[in-house]
Amino acid sequence: MKWNNVKLIYTREMRDQLRDRRTLFLIAVLPLLLYPLLGMSFVQIAQFLRNTAAKVLVVGTDELTDHQWLPPLLAKDGFDAGLFYKKPLDRDNLKRISSEELAAAQEDSPRESPPADAMQAGSAALASGQVQVVVFFPPGFGARLQQARESLIARRGDSAAEGTDLPKPQIYYNSANEKSRVAQLRVDRMLRNWRNNVMQTNLRDSNVPLNAAHPFDLQPLDVAEDEQRDAAVWSKILPFILFIWALTGAFYPAVDVCAGEKERGTLETLLTSPALRREIVWGKLLTIMTFSMATAMLNLGSMGVTGKFVLTQFQGLSPMAGQSGMLSMPPVVSLVWLGIALFPVAALFSALCLACAAFARSTKEGQYYLMPLLLVIMPLMILPMSPGVELNLGNSLIPITGVVLLLRSMIEGQYWQALPFVLPVMGVTFMCCLLAIRWAEEQFNSESVLFRESERLDLGRWLVHLVRDRSETPTFAQGVFCSGLILMLIFLMNFALPSPSANAINFHFIFQTTFILQVVCIALPAVLMALLFTSQRKKTLLVDKWPRWQFLLAAALLALFVRPLGIYLVIGIEQLYPISTEMKVQLDSLSDIFKSTSNPWLPLLMITVLPAVCEEIAFRGFVLSGLRRVGHKWWAIGLSSVAFGLVHPILQQQIAAAAVGMVLGYLAVQTGSLLVCMVFHAVYNGLAVAVAQVSEQASSSAAHSYSSWIFSGKDQFQPWVLVVSVAGTAAILWWLHRLPYQHNKEEQLQEARERQFAGA
Amino acid sequence: MIAEAPVIEALSLTKAYADLRRGQFIALDRLSFSASAGEVFGLLGPNGAGKTTALRILSTILQPTSGTALVTGFDCVTQPARVRHKIGFMSANTAVYDRMTAWEMVEYFGRLYGMEKDHLRDRMEQLFDRLQMQKIRDLLGAKMSTGMKQKVSIARAIVHDPPVLIFDEATSGLDVLVARALLDTVSELRDQGKCIVFSTHIMREAERLCDRVAIMHEGRILAEGTLDALRQQHGQQDLEDIFFDLIREHDPTTATL
Repeated sequence: MKWNNVKLIYTREMRDQLRDRRTLFLIAVLPLLLYPLLGMSFVQIAQFLRNTAAKVLVVGTDELTDHQWLPPLLAKDGFDAGLFYKKPLDRDNLKRISSEELAAAQEDSPRESPPADAMQAGSAALASGQVQVVVFFPPGFGARLQQARESLIARRGDSAAEGTDLPKPQIYYNSANEKSRVAQLRVDRMLRNWRNNVMQTNLRDSNVPLNAAHPFDLQPLDVAEDEQRDAAVWSKILPFILFIWALTGAFYPAVDVCAGEKERGTLETLLTSPALRREIVWGKLLTIMTFSMATAMLNLGSMGVTGKFVLTQFQGLSPMAGQSGMLSMPPVVSLVWLGIALFPVAALFSALCLACAAFARSTKEGQYYLMPLLLVIMPLMILPMSPGVELNLGNSLIPITGVVLLLRSMIEGQYWQALPFVLPVMGVTFMCCLLAIRWAEEQFNSESVLFRESERLDLGRWLVHLVRDRSETPTFAQGVFCSGLILMLIFLMNFALPSPSANAINFHFIFQTTFILQVVCIALPAVLMALLFTSQRKKTLLVDKWPRWQFLLAAALLALFVRPLGIYLVIGIEQLYPISTEMKVQLDSLSDIFKSTSNPWLPLLMITVLPAVCEEIAFRGFVLSGLRRVGHKWWAIGLSSVAFGLVHPILQQQIAAAAVGMVLGYLAVQTGSLLVCMVFHAVYNGLAVAVAQVSEQASSSAAHSYSSWIFSGKDQFQPWVLVVSVAGTAAILWWLHRLPYQHNKEEQLQEARERQFAGA
Repeated sequence: MIAEAPVIEALSLTKAYADLRRGQFIALDRLSFSASAGEVFGLLGPNGAGKTTALRILSTILQPTSGTALVTGFDCVTQPARVRHKIGFMSANTAVYDRMTAWEMVEYFGRLYGMEKDHLRDRMEQLFDRLQMQKIRDLLGAKMSTGMKQKVSIARAIVHDPPVLIFDEATSGLDVLVARALLDTVSELRDQGKCIVFSTHIMREAERLCDRVAIMHEGRILAEGTLDALRQQHGQQDLEDIFFDLIREHDPTTATL
């Protein structure tokens, strides 16, 4: 691949996109306009809330003025300033009008019949929007307050008064009207304060200490510092917004540079130039990535500037102002982390969009793919926002979710807690990126995608075509489908099988489930698919010829050498990502059951032969054969080991199994024989049982037993064993590496193409 | 004008598509031909004869199901990038970028062909003069007429001075003036010693231009040879009559349409 060409294509695509008004509008102009506009309307609302003084009609003021002892409620044109000590601004926002003023106002407007009483007039005024709130003090309100006060001062238990309801001033408002609702809240707050004042006056005058009615105060103390609390909020919001924009910013240019170019007919022009498909893909990918990152950054920047503006406007303005819950601007460090995380995420999104867009025949079809893409990506972005989802090994291995969680920890400043997960998150993201890029490359290489014609969908004919026009070995898609099918069957089996109580688990049960798992869920789908969809079944399953005896020997030896390394790998994984105690108890009980069986060979058979045969048929047989159609053995080996890892029940085992899967896949490719893989697999699994038992003896029995030559403790080897293991593994792998392996057509083609410049 | 070693060699090219309805659809059936430097080889055939498929295989955009195609000794399947260095490809499907000027477009492809900057500029000035494109030098592709676009396509295809040129129905949709200018350019290129493959369904063009022709129908070559040889063989003067006879002979139903 020549980076010069990539650069050339990149600069052209960039220029092309920048000359397109639609793209520029979406990427640059929209965010620059959108947020200030939103912010402005936000401020407008705030201004509205502040400036519009609501009119409050108070009916029955006589009830108050008759009783001079009452603390002041009314003032000229409004209410007493003392009632707004918490929110002084509210006072200006509430204007009081009396019934007389209302009547005077209504006289100006023509009205046939004057309303019968003040309350009726008030309701009418509320309905017509002349006033926003009507406060109605019922007749006898003042008298009853007076009565209660007197009985308190006289310390007379007024049984008659206690039984009846308290006096109830009514507050009429219209919840369908925004202004009325806001005013009602203010009036409510104010009247509560006034009630408090009345109570305090009563208590004071009756010589009761105020704390009789208010024995203690609650004082919530938030130990979170302001920045910390803000960081917690920002860490949830910012990644989401940023990544959504990264996806949007990637999608539209992707559709334009792939499907658009196909539609306009320039793609064929480009494809006849000497630029390699890979160079074209990379050039386009970098363009899309640039736009993705620019969109995300511009949106974030514009939002930040607007947010800052709005926040300063809000200080002391809105009803929320002055509360400690106001967010401040996100700290700069968090923005730096966002920038760093944006890079891999933008790369991943761009590659995904590129692959989707390359598949589309036209821009119209390309647009259709946004929704499915969103449907896949959105849950991954929303998952980290749900409470209780934390950064752990399992979550860090989920694409995008891992990045979001890691980013959250970084923004919150928990660097040390996040550190062990940096590698898995980066690894998964990197793998996903590579896969997506590779997928996009495949699309550009596939002539059926480039020159796709619309064909009527016909499921029946398509299935017939799959069987009728079957190829020698499975296609890549069939390989992927087979692994997906196996995973789904295992998932369904776990549902379908009754989970027994802990003491009902016996060897019989375990044997049964293992048998079903291995034979029905793993081996059967692979065999059936091989029968249906391939013409050379033996070749597909790598059983078309007997392996050389050296291979079998080498496989057995390799298993012997790899086993100690495998044990240390498992220990290492468990140290980094501990297995829960629950799980440990379960695993231990499992091995106890194996020990307690009457026939010791039966569990050995179950652990060694059964998986060795079934799993090899599926993963090194059908799946690997299909995946090898991608044209590069390491891609096929890597992907098939991931699939192989996934069938194991717990995460720690999955990682270890995937690593062993790499060795198995390599064996399969280099020797071309499934039997060799089965031998390795059986010996490797068998050794696990042996090592566990013998090394336990070594740690418990007298020091001079033969086992202490090899083991220094449970699952601990003497140093020389390790040295021999490493050397032996390396030697056998080197020998395998020197073997001429059988290339399939795609691999031959790829290699020939990579060699094409060798002589130049 | 018969040259020594063939520059283009197609050896029993077959292209089959899986078709849900018809099972397998054979677009090319063991097609073999060769063309040498300094000659224009014409592929003649009705629509759907497989001309475009054959030329797409030569230009490495498609892969044959079986058979090999060699261009200046490089294999179209295993050495596609090297083949693409040696060819200039122009078809009705290879469009011009809308948001690029004529100059930028040709320069872009020149650079993709790995040409040095100075050399490229000289070459482009010369080309733009020769094809009378100086006027549209800074015109965006979107604003060009069909004829202008065609000129840009030619300049793009020959900017790196390839020994092989492939024209796939290059005159379709052009008016008489532009088509004639194109044909003149092609014969000029032939005189420079290029090996040219020219596909068309217009017999007049083939008669004017081609040294040798192959008449294709349904993925197969029905007849091949120099124009004179064909005329003698079939006892007809007009290429169109020969063409018609051949097709009727092969498939009576088609020709009566």
